Amino acid sequence: MRERDVSEDVEIQRALIKDRDAGFTMLVHTFQPGIYSGVRRMTNGHADAEEIAQDTFLRAYRALAGYEKERIRTLQLRAWLWTIALNLCRNRASRSAPESPKPSITAESTHDEIPLDAAAWNRRLDRLSPHQRAAVVLRHIVDLPIADIAAISGRPEGTVKADISRGLNRLRDSMEAEAVR
Amino acid sequence: MNDIERMLADLNEVPPLELEGRTIFEAGAADLVARIDSPFGLLWIAWSKRGITALTPTFASRTIGEFAEHHRRISYRAQAIPRLMAAEIEDALETGDSSALAFDLTGLTGFQRSVLEVCATIRPGTVRPYGWIAQEVRRSGAARAVGTALARNPIPLLIPCHRVVRSDGSVGSYAFGSAMKRELLERENAPLPLSQS
Repeated sequence: MRERDVSEDVEIQRALIKDRDAGFTMLVHTFQPGIYSGVRRMTNGHADAEEIAQDTFLRAYRALAGYEKERIRTLQLRAWLWTIALNLCRNRASRSAPESPKPSITAESTHDEIPLDAAAWNRRLDRLSPHQRAAVVLRHIVDLPIADIAAISGRPEGTVKADISRGLNRLRDSMEAEAVR
Repeated sequence: MNDIERMLADLNEVPPLELEGRTIFEAGAADLVARIDSPFGLLWIAWSKRGITALTPTFASRTIGEFAEHHRRISYRAQAIPRLMAAEIEDALETGDSSALAFDLTGLTGFQRSVLEVCATIRPGTVRPYGWIAQEVRRSGAARAVGTALARNPIPLLIPCHRVVRSDGSVGSYAFGSAMKRELLERENAPLPLSQS
């Protein structure tokens, strides 16, 4: 299990309080790769993922301007950023659904830089419900604890666990079906 | 952890290289920097969302690292200057008229900003003494402070601090040497001061 260094959060919070621009640079450098990687598995196009990974931090930057020192000091940075990112993913999904067809593996494969394996995973994840998909991605790709996922998604811990469990089962079913074919 | 969880954990995707810089730039928390060719050789140009923040000839800062060391803001390397901005910069360097360009002087003191804003109004082919700027910013008697502010001009050539000369008729100092200041003034057919210093 990947562990995060809490002292890193403290260092970024101090920087944000002292000089918002310098702190923001650290915030983006530290957290954007993880946000991008997770969002990439929650959306169906690299352009969407880039836009959400950028918008998440632009919103965070604007919000920080109005936060008191004490609020910044107590922010759980990663969970806070994911709350913003997940909202943006949901807004994006509600804008594009239900008219847009589910993307196919062929559509994903047109981007040279995307490995086929990742495209296949996006196709499998696309078969999950939005809640299951978010919970599985946040737990097993982003590596967030259940309690954080519950807070971020605004759902009880038990429901999040059930989402993850059902989501994993459905992924397993998809993989088995692919193996049989 | 079972197989499927392990596969998910390995499903890491790296963001495009420029995303970090672009995000920080879009927030207004950092500048982008790129090189541009000019009649004065290669120049580093830094810009924010509001306008140009710095210009440094590559003979003064050879590498982007050297440039960043002296730049007052966080900066990220960009592939190129946006096409319209590049065309406006080329035009301004050619004609000496920078009026089409937007400058971002945030991070400087109010006095420094005022001095540079007044300096930017001096037309090509003309010169003004330091004392004139001091008067324009309502700080008559602060000619020396004006000189200091101009010496720290982050956007030389485009904000034409080379058009500010001493009241005794001598060229005065310049960040890139008095000889270059004289050359710039000759290029613009400005009434040249007699003294060589």
